[in-house]
Amino acid sequence: MKDRVLIANRGEIAIRIMRACKELGLDYVIVYTDADQDSQHVHLAMEDQDGRKRAWRVASYTDPNDILAVADHTGCTAIHPGYGFFSEDYRFARRVTIRDRPLTFIGPNWEVIKSLGDKINTKRVANRLGIPTIPGTDGPIYNEMEAEEVATQLLDNQQQQKIKNPSILVKAAAGGGGMGIEEVFRIEQLRRVYRQVQNYAKRQFGDGGVLIEQCLRDYNHLEVQLVCSRHGERLHFGTRNCTIQSTGRQKRLEAAPGFDVSCFTYDFDAPKVLRQIVDYSLKLADHVNYDNVGTWEWIVARNGTPYLLEVNTRIQVENDVSARISYLHNKQPNLLREQIRLALGDTMGYDQKSIDFRGSSIELRLVAEDTNRGFAPWIGTISQFSFPQEDWAAVYTHVPFDRAYTIPSEYDPNLALVLVWGDDMTMAKNRARQFLDGTVIEGHNNHGEAIMTNIPYLRGNLERLLTF
Amino acid sequence: MEHTRKRLAKCEEGITYLCQIKEGSDWGNLSGLTSKLEGLKNSFYDYSEEQFSDEVSQLEESLTFLTERCQEDISPMDRVRIVRSPLRFSLKDILENVYEDYTELGGEGEANIDPAMVVAKANILRRVKNRVFTQQVMVIGHEKGHGEEYRNGGSSKPWGNEKALRFMQVAETEGIPIHCYIFTPGAFPVEEYPGAAQQIARNLYAMAKLRVPIVSIISEGGSGGAEAIGLSDLRLMFSHGYYSVISPEGAAAIEGRVKDGLKAPKELVEQCAEHLKITAEDNLELGTIDRIVEEPPLGAKHDDFAFFKKLRYEMMRATDEVVLRTKSLRAFRAYELKLKKSDDDDSTMEVDADTTIHIDINWELNADERKRLIALRAKKYREMASKAYCSETNRFNDFWNSACTKTAKVYYTITYDILKRQQKQVEKVIKEVSGEGSSFLKRLTAPFSAAYDFVVHKPAGRGIVRQSSPSPRQEALALEFGDTYTSPLANEDRTITCPNSLKSGCKDLWIPDLYGEFCGVCENCGHHFPLEYKWYLNNLFDRDSIQEFNKKIGAGNPLNHPILRKKLQPVKNETKRESANITFQAKVMDVDLIVTMLYSDFRNGTVGAAEGEKFVRACELAKLQRKPLLAYVHTTGGIRIQEGTMGVIQMPKCTVAVRDYVDAGGLYIVVYDNNSYAGPVASFLGCSFYQFAIRSSRIGFAGHRVIRDTTGQDIPPDYHSARNALKRGHIHGIWDRRDFRRNLHQALMTMGGRNLYYR
Repeated sequence: MKDRVLIANRGEIAIRIMRACKELGLDYVIVYTDADQDSQHVHLAMEDQDGRKRAWRVASYTDPNDILAVADHTGCTAIHPGYGFFSEDYRFARRVTIRDRPLTFIGPNWEVIKSLGDKINTKRVANRLGIPTIPGTDGPIYNEMEAEEVATQLLDNQQQQKIKNPSILVKAAAGGGGMGIEEVFRIEQLRRVYRQVQNYAKRQFGDGGVLIEQCLRDYNHLEVQLVCSRHGERLHFGTRNCTIQSTGRQKRLEAAPGFDVSCFTYDFDAPKVLRQIVDYSLKLADHVNYDNVGTWEWIVARNGTPYLLEVNTRIQVENDVSARISYLHNKQPNLLREQIRLALGDTMGYDQKSIDFRGSSIELRLVAEDTNRGFAPWIGTISQFSFPQEDWAAVYTHVPFDRAYTIPSEYDPNLALVLVWGDDMTMAKNRARQFLDGTVIEGHNNHGEAIMTNIPYLRGNLERLLTF
Repeated sequence: MEHTRKRLAKCEEGITYLCQIKEGSDWGNLSGLTSKLEGLKNSFYDYSEEQFSDEVSQLEESLTFLTERCQEDISPMDRVRIVRSPLRFSLKDILENVYEDYTELGGEGEANIDPAMVVAKANILRRVKNRVFTQQVMVIGHEKGHGEEYRNGGSSKPWGNEKALRFMQVAETEGIPIHCYIFTPGAFPVEEYPGAAQQIARNLYAMAKLRVPIVSIISEGGSGGAEAIGLSDLRLMFSHGYYSVISPEGAAAIEGRVKDGLKAPKELVEQCAEHLKITAEDNLELGTIDRIVEEPPLGAKHDDFAFFKKLRYEMMRATDEVVLRTKSLRAFRAYELKLKKSDDDDSTMEVDADTTIHIDINWELNADERKRLIALRAKKYREMASKAYCSETNRFNDFWNSACTKTAKVYYTITYDILKRQQKQVEKVIKEVSGEGSSFLKRLTAPFSAAYDFVVHKPAGRGIVRQSSPSPRQEALALEFGDTYTSPLANEDRTITCPNSLKSGCKDLWIPDLYGEFCGVCENCGHHFPLEYKWYLNNLFDRDSIQEFNKKIGAGNPLNHPILRKKLQPVKNETKRESANITFQAKVMDVDLIVTMLYSDFRNGTVGAAEGEKFVRACELAKLQRKPLLAYVHTTGGIRIQEGTMGVIQMPKCTVAVRDYVDAGGLYIVVYDNNSYAGPVASFLGCSFYQFAIRSSRIGFAGHRVIRDTTGQDIPPDYHSARNALKRGHIHGIWDRRDFRRNLHQALMTMGGRNLYYR
């Protein structure tokens, strides 16, 4: 293969993509901003010169013009967006693939990104296929009477299911990121809230459409990892559980597989539910002709009812937690490598049966933050950074081990991803504890105060994994 | 001796006047005369009285000769200079000499809201068989003054026009006729409230249905400024006046592409004046005026008292005519006959002897007569410029069309006027009855239904998921985003820098995204890049709902202007359209409407006779079919200069038509996009109650260059921006292009006129 990949991202994912490229024998080019010039991903690329310049400075990771200019100048044939930034921007994917000098977008094709990127559309398609979604409307409502009818039904249903404190959410259809959402407990409140949300939506988004959904409280957040090729092959790499999140809905601890009966006595048949959501995910992927890696996010209620939440049409941070329990020819696969290979047009080369799921794995996200104060980011300079070396653990980080590193204030203060795995969940948890105990992170901020990390939080939450 | 000195002074004035007309003393032996005059003046005491008198007589003779020669081959540009001469009569002279007495309203020299616009209540005397009758009129006109700076050359400011409008309404209240005297090179092009364009539009809109006789007379008729008080029942013109779409200098500057700050060459100006057909004879021939008032050779000056007497006669006769036409045709004919007879009687007498009227006519009108007055006025303007455009007409077609119109009229009258009213009544009754009934029933059945609900509890289905029911609203939204039409601008792999990037930090925009999905709008700052008119045709209206009409009416070349001769056909071939106005029926989210659309590709969306005619017909159709009317202005550069006054006359013509439509209960919405300037904005567009602008568009009266040339001031770059127009109160809302369709639908639903079918 003669492809050259432009890595349009930063941090640990840039390093992971870089390694995957090298393993595949592909050349690569990275971009970086001023703030990131001390980051390890830049250093690695700078060292890897062999007469070619592989690191290019750009104004911003989100300026398509800069990034495409670098791609053209260096003769890249493909772009890997990583996660965040352009990874789910169908416009960018479209531009990359239809421009005069087209490039391969390492990710699903843009039409898929567009159709699944729209949550309401995803819900509508899923409903049509009989895939369960959160009860409620799958299109904007403009009519008060209609809203009342739907709300009444939703509240009645919850009462029948003996759900404590039933409530519904009224959302602005055009909104997102938690804006314009109100909770309603009694039908008498609805009219007022409906008007309020409608007016907010009209003012804010220019469209008064409103969505009404059942409000779910007691649930687990599960994900199904799919890997698909451009040739219609679609496999899954199991499930994972991402329930433990910071207040800003940022994941902090993930474990695979999605449920484990050794951790909790579920009210339902856990393996059956996991099988169910995998099957549903593949069904939807087949329907939309999904053609790269992707994650299907699910909500599973305490009684075991699954609801499809949304689809992430990109590689995720926690992809490796699934890879660590899946064995392909007795080896843990590298999903990034698979992604690049398949995006460039390769066929899968194996089938679902050759993937063997065994053991358990946990991902710990090490972040410099004050978990007691609303997960406020901590900015400063790291002087000591070291991890134990174990053959049952892996660390992904862009923080250098051999020199001091200042956390740039422009980006999230993520420090490292730690993966540990074992024969079962108890072993994995013990190893995780052991690993955290051996981790040394030291540093100070401008005021001379010691670094704050979320290690105590991670340790404290290990027991909560996979429970309700 | 004193007498001779006066004669000499008179000669001097005559020579100065000639010099003014000919721009210097290079013409004829004007220089010889000037030096002779100088000589005489210097050697006043060297001559004996007789000698001197002879010399002066000689001078007078050669001056008369020269005047006659000048009059013989007077050029259009000479007339322009005559009209602008400080020696020419002004409105003040007319007020003093034509009317018996007058009171100027709101003004005393410089102390005036706008010294260029004078309003006065005046008396005019009529002597019939030794009895004297006094009649009141409202005199409104531009005051050029005799060179006073503050008069601004008769270029009235927006607030001056506003004053004129106010007193027109006073005249309407009092039921007295209005005499308008037009002495303006054009309106003062400032946008400050009430705004040059918008105020002219308001004036036109009001004058279209003013319930008193209006007579106007043009000395200097400079385009929009003239129209502001020019819409009238009878339009006269002084024989040495000019009436034009633009000053010849302005036309030359545009035609010769003269750079900023430079003057157009003199020959070009002369040529332009020639091409624009600005003289009284030309205008009479074109039908933009009704009659010419003859002036003495080389025009009347401020002391031509015989001329003022004649003018009084002409103004009275014109007012009589207007009044009598409303009474009955017979009365009018009798009057004409009598007038002729008196003409014949007096034909042997001196010229000024026939300037008396021997009948007394009351100028007050009753209700029926007022109605007839307005109908006649509408008819007069409807028929203007009807030969200035091309259309395929033959007798059969005409007959067929009129038959169709009549049938349609009957049909729509029955459906909407007769049936609809009945239906509305019935519906109302049913509603009231059923409202009563249901509340009564409810009270009766409430206990039972509660019991029923209790017994038969609805077994609710598991996981209620609403299937996507395609409600009309949703479908419409889906249509909006289903993009099958993409602008040809989008077919380019290139980026473009947003003009606000420095201020708002916008990233460069990729052209296919910008002109495709973003509808030509910068995502970051909302700057609107221009889009071609076809985009709107394809994205604004429901699919396949567009039905064009009057497609065959094409722009013509009524003045046989050399530029149009050269450029009109190529533009028609290029755009595959006949005029700059597309009129069609369409639907927006299932609401029917009539649209008239001025677009840029055809001579920059300028309005000429064809465009005006199409607009008027669109109004008529909308009125007939009870549909809302949308004037979407993709771009308009103003009145098409090369059509001269045939273009200018579209301003009142279209305004009268649209007023008629609005008064009939229609809804008239104007939406400006890109650039909208001058005439159309100052008339049929600017008069709308509901004017909206697409963001980043520009709306105004004159461009920055004209403003600098006339006011001497530079304007800021955003002077004409939609935001500023909104601030000044010229428009009533700014719309985002991406929401155009939705906003339009909302506007139609919330502002419908009382006679529209969907209300």
